[in-house]
Order: sequence, then structure tokens, then C-alpha cells
Amino acid sequence: MFPFQIEKIYLDEKAEKDSVSKTILKALSDIPVETVQDKRGLIKQFFSMPDSIGVGKRHLLITHFYGRRLKPCPGTSNHICCGYYVINAITNCPMDCSYCVLQGYLNNPFLTLYTNWDDLLQEIDVFLSSDRQSFLRLGTGELSDSLALESIFPFSPFLIQFFAERHNGILELKTKSANVNHLLHLNHRGKTVVSWSLNPPKMIEEEETRTAPLKERIDAARGCQEKGYPLGFHFDPIIYHEGWERGYQETILQLFKQIDPKRVVWISLGGFRYPPKLKAIAEERFPKTRVFLGELFPGRDAKFRYLKEIRVEMYQKMAGWLKEINPDLFIYLCMESKEVWEKVFGWAPENSRHLNQMFEKRVRKFVK
Amino acid sequence: MSGMAEMKPIQKMPLNQIDLMDDTFSVNYLPNLQSLRSSIKEIGLIQPVLLRKKSGGYQIVCGFRRVSAMKELGKSEIEVRVFEEKEMDAFQLFSLSLHENLTTRGFNAVEKAIALEKLIHRFQIHPDKVIKTFLPLFSLEPNEKILNTYLSLAQMEDEIKTYVLKEEVSRSNIRRLTGLTPEDRMAILSLISPLKLGENRLREALTLLEEISRRNQCTVREIVQRPEIQTILSQKELTPSQKTERVKKVLMDLRYPKMRQLEENFEKKRKDLNLPSNISLRHQPFFEGKGLKVEFQFETMEEYRSILLSLSQLVAKEEFREMIVLSKGQRT
Repeated sequence: MFPFQIEKIYLDEKAEKDSVSKTILKALSDIPVETVQDKRGLIKQFFSMPDSIGVGKRHLLITHFYGRRLKPCPGTSNHICCGYYVINAITNCPMDCSYCVLQGYLNNPFLTLYTNWDDLLQEIDVFLSSDRQSFLRLGTGELSDSLALESIFPFSPFLIQFFAERHNGILELKTKSANVNHLLHLNHRGKTVVSWSLNPPKMIEEEETRTAPLKERIDAARGCQEKGYPLGFHFDPIIYHEGWERGYQETILQLFKQIDPKRVVWISLGGFRYPPKLKAIAEERFPKTRVFLGELFPGRDAKFRYLKEIRVEMYQKMAGWLKEINPDLFIYLCMESKEVWEKVFGWAPENSRHLNQMFEKRVRKFVK
Repeated sequence: MSGMAEMKPIQKMPLNQIDLMDDTFSVNYLPNLQSLRSSIKEIGLIQPVLLRKKSGGYQIVCGFRRVSAMKELGKSEIEVRVFEEKEMDAFQLFSLSLHENLTTRGFNAVEKAIALEKLIHRFQIHPDKVIKTFLPLFSLEPNEKILNTYLSLAQMEDEIKTYVLKEEVSRSNIRRLTGLTPEDRMAILSLISPLKLGENRLREALTLLEEISRRNQCTVREIVQRPEIQTILSQKELTPSQKTERVKKVLMDLRYPKMRQLEENFEKKRKDLNLPSNISLRHQPFFEGKGLKVEFQFETMEEYRSILLSLSQLVAKEEFREMIVLSKGQRT
């Protein structure tokens, strides 16, 4: 069953005949469907509703995507970024994290599934073929949770098999769910990293609505590890709160009771950060959220971050706890300045390109 | 005026027959009777008021302000049109009253709140209908959030309502007041009234108070009653804008304690350097990014030489070295 509720499906008439649409409608046969001609008008109508973001999460739009669906991760200016590529397979997420940047980012409130799969696979193929020397990292977990909608349409198995046959690309499926059973039997050939965003149970309970509890995420990760998938973990956003040290340290210990650190290809650390307009949107939707009560200030990229002193403290401690587990873990900072890297690790990548090269080196160790 | 009302004959009614305490159809809040009184005095009552018959007298449907003004002017009777007791139901009459008032004078924010509150609670109109029909009537966007904002305002203390009207408080700031207890609202009022805050300053103050209260798990009242804030408020020599700046500084320090420590340390070291007033030394905004900024100003070659000397002497000072460390957002 779905851990979320879909009240209605809007089917763009242009996607009506696609086999993907038929699969989705079959999986959701008891949910009313309306065929739409004017997608833009519908989106406009939904945006005028109170809590359009919350309402959008309960309505599914099945449509085509006509633009580029593979883009460099937008990263952030004046900071070191890792050279990741974002695959837009699904837009929006049925989970509802108070801090989620998508709340202020998307120009379409619906859970949106794009049915022109062949176009997407072709685009990825062309992209990978154009740069055979590099080892590129691509992921579906930026504009949605990679695995949250698998019960409606299991698109990840397609991608896993697609990447299994590619020589210079690795797929990352990033999730806060435990929906991995349908991936376990696949021949991934080590070309898919399944990764989890982690936070202490208290933060998951208070700030990450409709996500899987920590234990279920770790159990799912262990299941993937047993089937040979390389794993990734993202402590992002790290939320500075009373008792944060204990919460995160226990989370790390709990994780590595079950997970072999040698199977972990990367771990990211990222302090909570947000673009200016997110606060008002999120506080309206989550009046009890405490994520904005920290000491957060605008940086050179206009995003609000914790005071540098706080970020450095959090990263140093997190990195210390992780290195105690295994000093060879590949830990990186997401959207941080060179200066903060230096303070946390005693060194810093020279630039984003350098970090990307380090990733390549790391990934090649894991690829069969 | 509605056709039905116009068909009623105009008659003279002794004021003592009208129940002035019956506010079934009233939405008045702080009515300004001055101009109405002058007008009546000058040319008399133009429009008759609307009454409904009830046991033992009459209740006012439209014309509360006119009746009050006539009474204050010492008149003993007034021109009226009268509905019989069961001729129209109460909601129809209330609706008629709202329409008539809208065409003649309009409503202030609190009167809109009272009207919406009566529609829902006294006349039992479904909120969806109120949103669709009555919010546009009051020139408000038809959505639940707006309705809830006004319903909350209707429940607030009279002192707060008066402040909202007097200072033309925005809906977003009214919403911020909604989330507070009556005690906290009254405490805030004691803070903001003497400061005479504009819209943005008020938003800033309310946000800071609410966030400090949640961070420190204390009430807003406890924050407002802190001695450092009360001392500022009691200083008669300060202008409202000076008080505002000082109160803001106290609130910012409470809200951002680690930043305050960094700023204080930096400031202390800066003072210890004893730099001449024409040299300023600053850190990056929010201690993000590296480096210090030095600015100096001079008019003569002598001043320039003196500045260079001061700057060169900084190299030997321990405080200066510590400031460089602090400027990176690190403690010394």
C-alpha cells in the first residue's frame, strides 16, 4: 500500500496512449481520473488554492516533459560543488519534510510523472556517450524522492538496468523510504548507488512527515548491501538542535551496526540551509517546525546558513565520529566554502572540478 | 437600500422606543460620529434608519451610528422604516444591513471581523458560503486563511483591536498576533505602543519575540518584562525611534546569542586597539568569508601619514592578530 494518499489523477491527453500511463492507471485503478487538455490552466488553478503545495502532493499529474531532463546540479555560487547531474524523472515528492526546498522551488504543485521514458533514456545515453573519459554521477533524488513513487510506477528498475550496461556513468537513487524490495533481484553491476538521507529519530519524527523511520531506512540499506549495491548516506540537512550531538552520534552508531563501511561509496554532510523565500512558506505549512530557530544568516549566495562557527563544529564532530568508524570513509561537504572545508578536514579541494575528480577516483574503486 | 425596505413607509419613532443595547445587527467598532453629528446638525437626517419590531420595542437593523448621533444631539425622535417581527429572518436583515453600510460608509478591519464572526457564529452560515459570498463583498480574497485571520481578530482584546485600527496593522501581522496568548498579546502591546512601529518594524519585532520565546521556552511576556527592555521603555529622553533601535538590539542579542558573542569579542578587541576615529576596521557580514576591511579618511598629507603610522603599528598588537582570527568566525 502507499504511505500517502492520492485523491485524483490528472491525465494529460498527450500522455493518454503511453504504456507508462496505462501501468500507472492500472496500479491506481480505484482513484478517479480526469483527462486534461490545458495543463497550464490546471496548474494555475491549483496554485491559487490555499496550501497548494500540500494539495499538490495528493494529486497526480501524468504528462510529458518536453525540455531537457538532465541538468547539472544547480549547486550554489561561491561554494565548492561536486559536479553531480540531476535526472528529472519525477517532479515533487509525496513525503513532506518541513525544510524541503522544493516547497519554494517548483513551478508545478502536482506530483508529476513523465511518461516519455524513451526520450529520457535517449538523453542520458547521448550525454554519457559525449564524454566517455569521465565517470559521471547522475541521480533522480533532487526533484523528488527516488523511490517514493515506485509503488505507482517502478521506474528505478529501468534506470538500474540501463546504467548496468553503461561504462562511464553511475546512478544514485536517493531516498528517505524503505522501498527497495523490488530492486534486490536486479543485476545492477555495481552501477547504482542506493543512498539514504539520514537524521536522528527525533528529527525524522518532528520534521520529516511521511518518511520511513530510521530503523527501516537502515534495514533497507542493509538489504541493498547484501545484494551488492554500493551505498551512499547523506547527513543533510544536519539540524542544529538541543541534543544534536547525541542524536547524530547515535544515528551513526546505529547505522554502522548494520552497514559495512567498506561498502559505502560516499557520505555527505550538509548543514541546514535555505533560500530566503522558503521560511515563510514552510512556517505557514509547518507552524511547529523548529528548523528556522537556529542562528542562520544569509551567505554570499543569499542562502541562509548556520553561523560558520556552528557549521564547522557540526562538520568536525560528524566527520570525527564517522572516521572513528572507518578512517577510509569518503566524506564530503555539500555546498560549502573552501574555507570551511579547510577548517573541518585541514585541507580543501582546489575547486569544484577537483572535488569531481576525487569522486571519479572513489567511484572507480566500487564499479565492477 | 433594498427594494423591500424602500417600500416601507417612513414614520417618526421616539428614540426611547428603540433598544440601543440590542446589537444583533451591529458591526460598529469605534465609530467616528463627529462628522455625522455635524452633518445632521447642518442638514438633518437624510436617510431614515431601518428597524425591526420586537416584543417591547424595536431593534436597529441599519443606522446604529445615526441613532447614536441623534441621541447625542438631544433629539427625541427619528425617521424610520419598520419591518414587522417575522417579516424577514435575522440573516436576511443582517445581510441587508451589511449591503447598506457598504454602499454608504464601508467597514474598517475590525468591523469586517465582527461581521464575519457574526455570520458564522450567530447566523450559522457555513464557512464555505461566507468565503465565497461575503469575503469578496468586503473586498477580501475568498480563502480560508483570510477568513480565519478575521475570525481571530474578532476574538482579540479590545486594546489590540484598537491598535490594529489605529496603526493600520497588516493581515500578516494580525496573523502573527493570532498565535499568541491574550497575556502575551497585551505584553506585546505594552512594548510596541510606545515605539510607534511601521509595518516592517512591527513584523520584525513580532517575529523576534515569537522566535526567542520558542527557542528559550519562555513566554513573550517574560521577554518583554526583562529589565533591559523595561529600562529602555522608561527612558523619557529617548525618541520612539531610538527606543526601537535599542529594543531591537536587545532582541537580536537574545535571538542570536552566538553571533552576539562574536560581535562583542570583535568590538572589544577593536576598542582595545585605540584606533583614531578616521580609521574603521570591519569584519565580513555575519563573519562569513575571510578577511577584515580597513577604511580610512583623510584631508591632508599629515593626516595620511598619521593613518599609515597607526596602521603599521597594528602589526605588533596582539589584539589585532586576535581580530584576524575572529574575522574568520573563530574564537580566540
